[in-house]
Amino acid sequence: MPAGYYDYPVVKRPVWTWEVPAYFWLGGLAGGAFLVSSAAELFGTDEDRLVARDGFVVAAAAALPCAPLLIKDLGNPQRFHHMLRIFKPLSPMNLGAWTLAAFTPVTLARAAAEAGRAGLLPGPLAAVARLLPRPLMNAAGSVLGAVLAGYSGVLLGATNIPLWAKSKLLGGVFMASAASSGVAAVTMAAARRRAPEKTLHKLSRLGTLATLGELAVLGGFLKQSGRAADPLVKNTFRVPFWAGAVGLGSLVPLVLEQVAGRRTGKFTRSLLTVSAVCSIAGSFCLRWTIFEAGKESAGDQAASFGLSRRTQA
Amino acid sequence: MIDAYRRFMNIEAPPAPQRPKGFFTDTSLCIGCKACEVACKQWNQLPADGNELSGNSYDNTGALGATTWRHVQFVEQAKANNSRVGQRWLMMSDVCKHCANAACLEACPTGALVRTEFGSVYVQQDICNGCGYCVPACPFGVIDRAPKDGHFEAGRAHKCTLCYDRQKDGLEPACAKACPTDSIQFGDIEELQAKARRRLADLRARGETSARLYGMPESTEAAEVGHLNAFFLLLDRPEVYNLPEVPRLPRKTMAQRYAISAVVGLAFAALSAVAFGRRSG
Repeated sequence: MPAGYYDYPVVKRPVWTWEVPAYFWLGGLAGGAFLVSSAAELFGTDEDRLVARDGFVVAAAAALPCAPLLIKDLGNPQRFHHMLRIFKPLSPMNLGAWTLAAFTPVTLARAAAEAGRAGLLPGPLAAVARLLPRPLMNAAGSVLGAVLAGYSGVLLGATNIPLWAKSKLLGGVFMASAASSGVAAVTMAAARRRAPEKTLHKLSRLGTLATLGELAVLGGFLKQSGRAADPLVKNTFRVPFWAGAVGLGSLVPLVLEQVAGRRTGKFTRSLLTVSAVCSIAGSFCLRWTIFEAGKESAGDQAASFGLSRRTQA
Repeated sequence: MIDAYRRFMNIEAPPAPQRPKGFFTDTSLCIGCKACEVACKQWNQLPADGNELSGNSYDNTGALGATTWRHVQFVEQAKANNSRVGQRWLMMSDVCKHCANAACLEACPTGALVRTEFGSVYVQQDICNGCGYCVPACPFGVIDRAPKDGHFEAGRAHKCTLCYDRQKDGLEPACAKACPTDSIQFGDIEELQAKARRRLADLRARGETSARLYGMPESTEAAEVGHLNAFFLLLDRPEVYNLPEVPRLPRKTMAQRYAISAVVGLAFAALSAVAFGRRSG
């Protein structure tokens, strides 16, 4: 016997579709890649800086589809600009819209500056691109990118959906996943570009640390979520979650990075490329499974009551 | 300057606030006639939701939604014994609670959801872009987005307006007008609260010890969402009517959530700086 009214859900099932987790994934990847590239340019050697250049282009490429994805998910897409008719940071959705609206041009300009430096732009455009203030863009883009990477988890958490709201760690989970996928994206570009091995190993070590951090925060999230996480870890989405998000996205890259760390040459590049692809794919699995399992947990009457009780049953 | 801008943008001054109005739904008087559901659908020109039979008592409505703004519940408490002890049929007309601190209103990124001059929570249909964030924000599962491919105001969020249009003309909402037993009462919220307290005392004195009010300013359910402008007299625990014990307001934990996310982000930024430090590698 259910405790409530028949077995009817207490809260409404979110109406969002696949565009939303796809956007969270790409936005996080873009933010993470921008942050890593800025760090490489600011703190790294001359060789590291060469990698950073590709990183900024990757960040721009990932940021570009974000706004169209978000707009497509709206009930009335032609009214997308209503998001920016007010500034209301109390609403994570409004904060995110402003962040994306600011981050996208910054990352595009930063990529244009690199294209200008690499001689890919025609004369007058290259001259304009050279005028762009790189350090300023790096600082602004890093802050905006970090907000973009983390707010999505807060947005989902600031609801009454049991899986998303029970633990307060979801913003941390998404931020860590954005970090590991961002590093992976830069690594992939660097490996293709035949970046020096020293730089690749730095990236690979950073990727390992980010992945370990991601696993730690994710573990905390699952522990705190309790039965609200059943659709994710035990029922409908257990295979894509454990095999995709955890196995492919975290464990495989960890092993490959360890193997690659002890070797040199072409084999290392291949290993790190495979590892990066796994990490990026796993990052999507993580967003998508948590998103979909959350929608399913909206139908769990008992989990909803558990969320709203003062004394935990 | 601001006045000139207002004139240029055709921005009207907001209407002066009135004394807050709301619903007191006394479930002990409800006979389950569903006149409120029908009156609501008629006045607000809401389409039908289909003709499916749920098999759960007389409740074939199921839930509040984009095109259902009143929902009569039928709770059958039938015990399998011959003494008839504890056998009850509870009926309750559910509606948007028009919370004092409304989660949907706070979540809305466009400002489509507003507090009206009557204290109710209202979706401005010309502003809503259908982002859908109010839907999972509501702790009661009230507001919903109409399907994108539907015929009714497609892709926008809808819920009870507390008959804003009727209130503008000094009329009571359609459901309260239609209710034949005065289970749904409309009026000045403070007067209704006083009335509800008297009714509760009366019922208790007559032996209905399980009666309780849901959504009063002093009760536990008001801890986060505040008092409810549509509140209830219930004859059992709130959860029996699918009402959460303490409805959550997402804003309450938001700062902590941002802080945790920021700590992870800063840790990663620090790690990146160290990883690329000239001394390492």
